[in-house]
Amino acid sequence: MSRIIKRPGTRHLMAQLAKESEGLSINERRDFLRKGVMTVGGLAATFSATQAIADTSNLPPMEPKWSKMLGHGVVEFPYGQPSQYESHVVRRTVPWLTAESISSISMSPLQDLKGIITPNGLVFERYHAGVPQINPEEHRLIIHGLVNRPIIFTMADLMRFPSVSEIKFIECPANGGMEWKGAQMEALQFTHGMLSCCEWTGVPLRTLLEEVGVQPEGKWILAEGADGAHMSRSIPLEKALDDTLVVYAQNGEMLRPEQGYPLRLINPGWEGNTSVKWLRRLEIGDKPWYHREETSKYTDLMPDGRARKFSFVQETNSVITNPCPENPIKQSGLIEIEGVAWSGRGKIKQVDVSFDGGVSWTPAKLKGLVLAKALTRFSLVTKWDGQPWLLQARAIDETGYVQPTLKQLRKIRGGNSIYHKNSIHTWQVAANGEVTNVQIS
Amino acid sequence: MYRSLKQTAISSLLGAALFIALPVNAAEKYGFGQTATPEQIAGWDIDIRPDGKGLPPGEGSVADGEVVYEQLCATCHGFFGEGEARWPVLAGGFGTLKDERPTKTVGSYWPYASTLYDYIRRAMPFTAPRSLTDEQTYQLTAYVLYLNEIVEDDFVLTNENLAQIEMPNKDGFFDDPRPDGHNKRCMKACDDPKTMTIQGTLSGITPVGHFIEGADAPAASHEGQEELEREKAHARKAALTGEDSSDIDDAKPVELSDKAVAGKEIFENACKVCHGSGIAGSPKLGDHEEWAPRVKQGISVLVGHAINGFSGSSGIMPPKGGRVDLSDQQVEEAVIYMVELSRVSK
Repeated sequence: MSRIIKRPGTRHLMAQLAKESEGLSINERRDFLRKGVMTVGGLAATFSATQAIADTSNLPPMEPKWSKMLGHGVVEFPYGQPSQYESHVVRRTVPWLTAESISSISMSPLQDLKGIITPNGLVFERYHAGVPQINPEEHRLIIHGLVNRPIIFTMADLMRFPSVSEIKFIECPANGGMEWKGAQMEALQFTHGMLSCCEWTGVPLRTLLEEVGVQPEGKWILAEGADGAHMSRSIPLEKALDDTLVVYAQNGEMLRPEQGYPLRLINPGWEGNTSVKWLRRLEIGDKPWYHREETSKYTDLMPDGRARKFSFVQETNSVITNPCPENPIKQSGLIEIEGVAWSGRGKIKQVDVSFDGGVSWTPAKLKGLVLAKALTRFSLVTKWDGQPWLLQARAIDETGYVQPTLKQLRKIRGGNSIYHKNSIHTWQVAANGEVTNVQIS
Repeated sequence: MYRSLKQTAISSLLGAALFIALPVNAAEKYGFGQTATPEQIAGWDIDIRPDGKGLPPGEGSVADGEVVYEQLCATCHGFFGEGEARWPVLAGGFGTLKDERPTKTVGSYWPYASTLYDYIRRAMPFTAPRSLTDEQTYQLTAYVLYLNEIVEDDFVLTNENLAQIEMPNKDGFFDDPRPDGHNKRCMKACDDPKTMTIQGTLSGITPVGHFIEGADAPAASHEGQEELEREKAHARKAALTGEDSSDIDDAKPVELSDKAVAGKEIFENACKVCHGSGIAGSPKLGDHEEWAPRVKQGISVLVGHAINGFSGSSGIMPPKGGRVDLSDQQVEEAVIYMVELSRVSK
């Protein structure tokens, strides 16, 4: 048993199982409850109660009940939803991190995601004054400041420009920030879930800047949101001219309200906070603005009491998603060690896996699309026969940067920098297959 | 010869077709959007820079700031800027930046006073952003600087002197020097297993709601956590008084009056931020025990307090919760919504 996952009282769990079994036939119910008792009696607590349900009357040689009846017709659900059996795949938050939910953060369930695209309803959320409900007809983007002609755009104006679609990750720089001083979070969703990856569609900011004509003194851009927080960040003009996007769509449909509908910035590979949502204004200036989100927040406090500013890049990082605390190893034999790697500087070139806490390493293979500043899947098929593992992944990007150890980062940055913790992560696999979050020093 | 001529002709045709299809030459613009007028820009151009660029003409004193602060800000930030619950601490923390647990405040950490004016202007008060006048913003900026002992109590902040204020930590920031980790791609004998120590998880703080329903650990959502804490509080009270706390059937839906139904949306947009979680001593939505004694004074007294503001033993209710744009009737409807949902008979 894990030290932290406390088990509910047997009575409580039994009551819950009894409730879930209502509506089943007497035989189904008896079978269901018997399995439930086994769960209560001894299996790892990480197996949820629903996994204990296995109705043998739907298994071969029986004909399953759904094969003997009709299902619902088309457009009964005009906008489709996941299967009822996937209801555990949701965003989650850590209540004690923030004062309340209006200015807070939620994490993507990385433990349940496949491939490199995060479905729109599962993209992590971060906002400072709740989600505004904006009528796109009444939304405007103003670009002004050190420009030849300030322009106000409607959404229709912006959608007339030739569009581009690019797959890019977005990560909160505080991802993993709860773990600088020690392992705290007994779940992948909480250690790494401030991370998502979508195909974004919109206009390169460069195109819009050519329209307004940036004056030679223009060096920085202030991006501002239309939400109650009027979130603002200073962005160097170089980045804007390089690969910043002004987007209105994600994964094939218009942005979700919590992702900035109808318009947001995407600064590929940079702190998620700079990809300002509900974008209403871009001002070109000759100096940065030093607003709250680039002084009080998103600055990295060092052991000498001084702080780093404008730490824009999300450096190379990786994490193993199978196994992980939510996905313990259930059977000995062949297992695919799988995970995601990403770099704010470009493409992932290589990922290595260690089974002994970083003493020796084995190259994993990259699978599927390998794109710059996008999540990249890695895989290593191996055998597990109950031996204890200290499982780690180490990513290397195309610039040659090697993901650092926690020891290396702590030595330079101490324990109070909150942001940009991209160190090699360790999962401890016990003899019973259970996985816990540990740190090696 | 004929053949090559034909090819040339085709090439020319293709060339012409390509030329026609080319949408714009490099210098040409799309021309989408309208020229923004100075009035349009002025309404949204709210940002302030450290050199004072963007500050509107005006001034505000520490003394006037105290009045506004205690009415609109103290509920969350505390009377001395000490911060209620998990809301931001605004003052103090000097000399703690090298400590094990540094306190980063306006005074101990922020490099520029302009940031304070800018942030209050764009985002505060939390429940009613962009509701303050420029004067009130000067007053509040002055007062928070005073709370941090950066200005004296007779100080008057103006658009002329703001950029001259030196913040204690103005030299405390430097440009990002990364990459700084400098790891190497070692494959064998990269660490000495004998010197390695494995540290486990600090226990008891991970929300484990998604592992097991009903586990005795923090919930996975703010609402779930509040519900959990409410249940525990009920159980504690019941244990102390020997009363049965189950007399109020939480599962039974409440039938709301028309006024309460009308007040739901106001509650969601204006009141929930405090009354949803019960911060700073505010009665929580649904908490019968907290609402009952307040309703006993008479519903008109309670509504009066909500409209005009109230300082009680457990906390402060700012007038209309800071949302002065709400009508008295809207506030009344929201109060009735909270009272009815908390199962208190009027």
